[in-house]
Amino acid sequence: MSLEDLIDAFVNLDEEKVLRIVEILLREGKDPTEILEACRRATALIGERFERGEYFLSELVFASEIFNGVMRIVLPELKREVKPTGKIVLGTVQGDIHDIGKNIFKAFAEAAGFRIIDLGVDVPPERFVEAVRTHSPDILGMSGLLTISYESMKKTVEALREAGLRDKVKIIIGGGRVDEYVKRYTGADEWADNAMLGVKKCREMLGLGG
Amino acid sequence: MVGELKSPEELLKERFERVEKAIGLGEPDRVPLIIFTCGDVLRKYATGYELYFNYDRAREASVKFVTEYPVDVFLAALAAEGFIFALAFSNYPDIAPSIRFWTGPMHDALGDKYTKWPGRELPEDSVLQFIGGQFMDVKEYNKLSDDPVAFVNEVIFPRACVNLEKAGSSKANAALIRLGFEASRYLRFLGESAADLAKVGIPSLPLTFAYAPLDFIGDFLRYPTGALIDVRRYPDEVKRACEALVEPIIKVALSLKPAGAKYAFIPLHLNEYLSPKLYNEFYWPTLRKIIVELYEQGIRSLVFFEGWHDPHLETILELPRGWGIAYFEKTDVRKAKKILGGHTCIMGGVPPSLLLEATPDKIEEYVKSLLGEMKPDGGFILSPGVADIPRAVPHENLKALIEAVEKYGRY
Ligand code: B12
Repeated sequence: MSLEDLIDAFVNLDEEKVLRIVEILLREGKDPTEILEACRRATALIGERFERGEYFLSELVFASEIFNGVMRIVLPELKREVKPTGKIVLGTVQGDIHDIGKNIFKAFAEAAGFRIIDLGVDVPPERFVEAVRTHSPDILGMSGLLTISYESMKKTVEALREAGLRDKVKIIIGGGRVDEYVKRYTGADEWADNAMLGVKKCREMLGLGG
Repeated sequence: MVGELKSPEELLKERFERVEKAIGLGEPDRVPLIIFTCGDVLRKYATGYELYFNYDRAREASVKFVTEYPVDVFLAALAAEGFIFALAFSNYPDIAPSIRFWTGPMHDALGDKYTKWPGRELPEDSVLQFIGGQFMDVKEYNKLSDDPVAFVNEVIFPRACVNLEKAGSSKANAALIRLGFEASRYLRFLGESAADLAKVGIPSLPLTFAYAPLDFIGDFLRYPTGALIDVRRYPDEVKRACEALVEPIIKVALSLKPAGAKYAFIPLHLNEYLSPKLYNEFYWPTLRKIIVELYEQGIRSLVFFEGWHDPHLETILELPRGWGIAYFEKTDVRKAKKILGGHTCIMGGVPPSLLLEATPDKIEEYVKSLLGEMKPDGGFILSPGVADIPRAVPHENLKALIEAVEKYGRY
């Protein structure tokens, strides 16, 4: 069993096989960070299949499920802190509880090495501000699918401005109904309506290239 | 404008014929404009709490909206998704339709865990939240398939509604009686609200309701992601359950036929998630059966293809020509027309973000160019794509939309 087998099983969404290989690799003494790196490569390949129209959202939901399963086994084995690519505070905005897309983005961003602080759903502006103050993230990610979430995103950006924190953090919005207009309305820096693009834009905002 | 000289009765008739003509794939006098709302845009006139708990305030808000923004059909669903309650009573056509949508006071009566409401779990000025949940274990698929109606009543309700925890208890019986009171108030509200709109010349569509079986499982029993994962892990069980749900769903839809219902509204949820392979295996066959059966019984469907439906567009051609209305959200209506033109009436076309942030000029330009392509040969209804309009949409922008249809929509 090799890391290549792991990537292969992951890309083909063979959940049982992925978890089995991870257990075996860990037992054989493989460095957990290498396993995470393999998962990053697998999710990138899954993302490519999605972009080519071979995979759909249900495959992404399932891939996130597999990734979370792997994390549950691997995280406790991590001996040293891996330096994250960047830190993201993430949440679904006030009034909105849609989080399936947010959770997919979270899994793909984590797989890409970002550390995510997930505030959950129906997050009021004050809680976003509080989290930005406490965690000093590089990026604030807001998710929302309802028409009311446009207003909540705008309010959150304004609250950050009032707290003097707007310049300290890049802001990206996501969810199926955001676009250039919504970005302008809310005052965010970037938008993405799919998880892979979101990860790419987060990397770009930190000057890391796509 | 000529319109102002017409009486409300004339306008009512004209607008209704305009919409029916388009649905029948014909060319009306102009492209119809239909606006739906789940409450967001009506919060211009009342708080969320008032809209869902105070029927008088809700009626006033709708009248204010259409007086300011006259459209061809206005539909306010000021209630939560409650199809499971209608299905539970599918053997009682006198009851099923009255509890198809779930109102604030019904939530008070039963204490359901599916929803949260302004002035209850939420601040007064918010919109209601359907949060759903996982109320069925994966091992229970067979019980669901054997008798969906019994399963929902006997197993799911005690889990999903605090006040129905103990069937037959005084508390549970009281909850059902309260629900009955509320259902009749709600029916009266619907009738009065339609009459209010008619008085100012705005027709309502004679609607009934159906559901895609896999969405039923996702929304009310297993949670959307649960249903998607079950499709992979337990494909046979899921398929059998979807088939078992067809009959009670059709019964619910037909329950309003004697009252004159002509269109079955069917909002789709998991369509966007599924690959064509999974869609054609788990989702479409039972949905198609429902649409076709209703069509044969004289009811056309108004299917809301939520999200991005592009990969499945062709399957719509399997339905009989003129089967109903395909309401699209993120799917480009121009692309849909290339495939479905002359076969299916298409509805949609206006993204909410455009109304929110573009200038009136941009909106006019957008509608002009869109109608340039969509108007020829009829069979098109213009509508904002997500079944709502953000409250923050500027007044001039909504006006610009209405004026642009008037200007560029004439045949
Ligand atoms: C599933 C679903 C639900 C589920 C939600 C389950 C959950 N926990 O998320 C349930 C059934 C609970 C639900 C409830 C409701 N819903 Co709903 N729902 C949907 C549906 C069908 C799919 C949404 C979805 O999950 N899409 C798939 C995900 C994967 O896509 P996504 O979110 O866009 O995410 C991707 C990208 O955007 C990106 N991304 C996401 N977040 C982020 C964040 C960042 C930072 C980045 C970079 C990227 C990123 O990555 C993801 C993967 O590529 C949509 C219709 C549709 N097809 O879009 C309606 C929809 C969103 N719902 C809608 C409505 C109205 C409701 C209800 C109000 C219904 C009611 N009347 O009771 C309630 C509201 C609850 C609330 N207050 O939030 C409307 C919203 C429009 C409006 N009127 O405002 C929609 C659009 C349907 C419609 N009418 O057109 N819903």
